[in-house]
Amino acid sequence: MALLEVENLHTQIKLKKSTVQAVDGISFTVEAGETIGIVGESGSGKTMTAMSIMRLLPNGGSSPEGSIFLDGRDLLQLDDEQMAKVRGNDVGMIFQDPMTSLNPTMTIGKQIAESVRIHRGAGKQEGLDRAVEVLSLVGMPSPQQRARDYPHQLSGGMRQRAMIAMALANEPKLLIADEPTTALDVTVQKQILELIDGLRERLGMAVILVTHDLGVIAGRADRVNVMYAGRIVENTTTEMLYANPRHPYTEALFDSLPERGADSGTRLYSIPGMPPDLTKPPAACRFAARCRYAQDDCRAQDPPYRVDEVGHEFACFHPVGAALRSGEEVEVTLSEVTSTEELPTPELGEVLLEVTDLVKDYPITKGFLRRQIGSVSAVAGVSFSIRKGETVGLVGESGCGKTTVAKLIVGLEDTTAGAMSLEGADLAALKSGERRKKSRDVQLMFQDSYAAMDPRMRVRTVVREPLDIQKVGDKESREARIKELFEQVGLPASALERYPHEFSGGQRQRVGFARALAPAPKLIVADEPVSALDVSIQSQVLNLMKDLQAEHGLSYLFISHDLSVVRYVSDRIGVMYLGKLVEIGPAEAVYSKPIHHYTRGLLDTIPVADPEVEKAKASSGIVGELPSAINPPSGCRFRTRCPAAQDICAQTEPPLVPYGTDGHLAACHFPIWE
Amino acid sequence: MTTYLIRRFFQSIVTLFIVSIATFGMMHLMPNGVVRGMLGQRATPQTIAELTHRLGLDQPLYVQYWRWLDRLVVHFDLGTSYQKSQTVNALLKEDMGQSMYIVGLALFFTIVISVPVGVLQATRRNSVTDYTITTFSFIGYAIPVFFLGVVLRDLFQVQFHLIPIAKQIDSFHAAFSQPDQMILPVATLVISGVAGYSRYMRSSMLDEITQDYVRTAIAKGATKRRVLYRHVLRNAMIPMITLVGLSLPTLVGGALLVEQIFNIQGIGVLTINAALSSDFVIVLGTTMLTAIVTILGSLVADISYAALDPRVRLT
Ligand SMILES: Nc1ncnc2c1ncn2[C@@H]1O[C@H](COP(=O)(O)OP(=O)(O)OP(=O)(O)O)[C@@H](O)[C@H]1O
Ligand code: SF4
Ligand code: SF4
Ligand SMILES: [Mg+2]
Repeated sequence: MALLEVENLHTQIKLKKSTVQAVDGISFTVEAGETIGIVGESGSGKTMTAMSIMRLLPNGGSSPEGSIFLDGRDLLQLDDEQMAKVRGNDVGMIFQDPMTSLNPTMTIGKQIAESVRIHRGAGKQEGLDRAVEVLSLVGMPSPQQRARDYPHQLSGGMRQRAMIAMALANEPKLLIADEPTTALDVTVQKQILELIDGLRERLGMAVILVTHDLGVIAGRADRVNVMYAGRIVENTTTEMLYANPRHPYTEALFDSLPERGADSGTRLYSIPGMPPDLTKPPAACRFAARCRYAQDDCRAQDPPYRVDEVGHEFACFHPVGAALRSGEEVEVTLSEVTSTEELPTPELGEVLLEVTDLVKDYPITKGFLRRQIGSVSAVAGVSFSIRKGETVGLVGESGCGKTTVAKLIVGLEDTTAGAMSLEGADLAALKSGERRKKSRDVQLMFQDSYAAMDPRMRVRTVVREPLDIQKVGDKESREARIKELFEQVGLPASALERYPHEFSGGQRQRVGFARALAPAPKLIVADEPVSALDVSIQSQVLNLMKDLQAEHGLSYLFISHDLSVVRYVSDRIGVMYLGKLVEIGPAEAVYSKPIHHYTRGLLDTIPVADPEVEKAKASSGIVGELPSAINPPSGCRFRTRCPAAQDICAQTEPPLVPYGTDGHLAACHFPIWE
Repeated sequence: MTTYLIRRFFQSIVTLFIVSIATFGMMHLMPNGVVRGMLGQRATPQTIAELTHRLGLDQPLYVQYWRWLDRLVVHFDLGTSYQKSQTVNALLKEDMGQSMYIVGLALFFTIVISVPVGVLQATRRNSVTDYTITTFSFIGYAIPVFFLGVVLRDLFQVQFHLIPIAKQIDSFHAAFSQPDQMILPVATLVISGVAGYSRYMRSSMLDEITQDYVRTAIAKGATKRRVLYRHVLRNAMIPMITLVGLSLPTLVGGALLVEQIFNIQGIGVLTINAALSSDFVIVLGTTMLTAIVTILGSLVADISYAALDPRVRLT
């Protein structure tokens, strides 16, 4: 008997006027000690599945129907008191955002102890002792002291460790982790995933890993359930799924990944349309409206669940691939519908933007008189240039200064030192009138366009705003321009009258893009433009950005923590660490032949959607956490986490010097360069 | 913490200074008012001029202010009443006790009642209990304090004689030794206070209940009760404390009215009578006193806020 058996689970959520069928008849099992992955797009019902097991549904959530057997006991038949005994004891859960998921006014020691006290009847001291014990189990440095800290005193990674400690304090048989690393930095993500993996083995528990990230699942799960619109559409071992997806939706997800496009230089596949409205799900195949293989039977009937000869389960009338055991050769035939058309490569022109020794310090003040007691060195002498029609990618952990660079370039912040010139004209030397005119040439596109838009403004006004401010043309020409922009970013003209909240995430990024394009800029600084999007939508936005670049000869400064996205869009990649540019060069060279140890570490750290690659990764990536930018390490700022650091690294700062002839530069005393 | 207190102290001094200048300036817009009030209808211009000179009211305003300030800073003396032959210090000392007593009691009961009521409403959200209490809150909130006081007095003292009508309460001792006489004035303040505070507590609780950490606590296996009392309540109290600090002046204002209705010789009555007879020195004194109480109240609120919420550092 499996540890957990979910059978025909249905979960509804009542809204004001309708009912969402959030989970619609799913079944799966989890064996003791194994990791089950649940992947799918936003809104596919992953979280609701997890919450149904915990019986922790949001307001309006009905009690789930079906059965959920944990060790032979049906959780759905338990009364509230019995269920409370299961939570935190037999099943532990960790959530996405460790900041909001911890009580801000209670020390983490007490919060962990509470879990022990509830289930083991432990006393105050006994509970705290156990808390310290589990904190050291999850690798918390100096657990005794940390137990007395409040959540806000810890870094994001440490908070997630505390969350895990809380979930594991009673050694549950099953751990449910809902997007446990989505809110964390890549380097920390790897550490947390490894921690969960290690603890699973040590404590012999099973793990349900819920995520939207195909890379995270690849290296961690034994089996994967792919969810779409409240259903599980495919279920098999991780190897088989990645090597040979059978359901067209899974295949489409893989095709949307930028790492698939980067090798071939082709356009990314993007799944057209949107997932169905779960308040009235179609009676036929739920993926039919977006499926490239859909036929008449798909639109008439619901495809039943099938198992092929090798035990690969899926729900589709016309599966892709063939029944193959993992390891068997798959003959790769790209389906005809997959677009393989080459993306147009824009001509690179002369230098558009030149940044020299850019420095930004934020002062820290203290006390009655606001004395300055120090400064945060956010950007410390960064130089690079962007040519016309070129995309320069900027990667690095959060807090390394990427966004500050973006703000300095678009003029949202004043530089502490350094020079910037646009088309040869020194921006600092320009008079304010001329500067304003020049500033039109550089526009910013945000990560979360929603936060950057006034929710009470129609998007027509949102997009027209920069034109109004810059007084471009007359009223009529501005209107015409807006219509043209919407057409370019692929939104219907009727969308102009809507409000920002009436768009999906991807559509909102299109609106944000239209706004950035409005004043016909030469350079767009895009700060994490696709980080909040699902892969299938992400690929739409990336394709759009590339198309418009070719059409208008735009240049991009593309900032992201996601190396595979950056590699796909960029001509050159710059890697930042703690305010310094440590490496810059042609995208392919940086990606496949990194010189700096930080770049190497980043590459090892970022999960790739390929179980083979994930398994083959030898190094454990980057250890530790980003040091404070208030007193950055002397010499090479990376030395505190560098595996190759020597004495000289602490004494002398390595200069950025060229390697080879293709403009590949790095700043390291002991480069990885043969 | 020390730096914080020092800074707050200097800020308070500046605030008090501004309050005193503003009050001083406003009250001396009619320079002859005091003297005419003191001498009555039959005053001749000559006697008026004489008394004006004796009181120093013919001096330029800044000189008068300087003298007042000098006495206050050097001798801690708020001046002498024009009409009564008493110093303002003595008058305040006489009347302060009973006023503070009423405000203190009212504040205590308001909090002790509104917190549980708000919690009850939040946990029974959209139930009959919730709606009933909400209705009463709105009524309580809408009725002016003054009117409420008069109604209570007429009902309980005049109509049904449930509480005897005593002679004027003019000392802290009189107030303290006659608890029955405190019931109505305090109840008046509490009723209007609870109406507002309990609503605030309700929405503060509801805000907290939807937070992610509540979900975490349930996922830990905590029962509803435990979640409510160990996690939600403390966090929901934090904004309440700010509210109490901020609304202290309103409460003091309410107390002034209540004294008038229930025949209590406190700071409120003292101020009103002084204002009616243009005895500016007294009004100035009571204004300064109220300002100090308000400043102290908000300081206490800020410190308790920081004590309850570890994220807040006093700097
Ligand atoms: N609190 C809620 N109230 C109403 N409907 C909800 C609520 N939470 C989720 N839903 C709906 O339930 C369905 C499944 O949502 P769920 O949160 O499980 O998706 P998910 O796969 O976890 O997505 P994500 O990747 O965005 O976390 C969606 O249609 C969603 O709109
Ligand atoms: S059943 Fe038809 S529409 Fe649905 S996934 Fe399969 S091929 Fe596509
Ligand atoms: S300079 Fe030294 S510390 Fe810095 S990356 Fe190179 S080897 Fe590591
Ligand atoms: Mg989710």
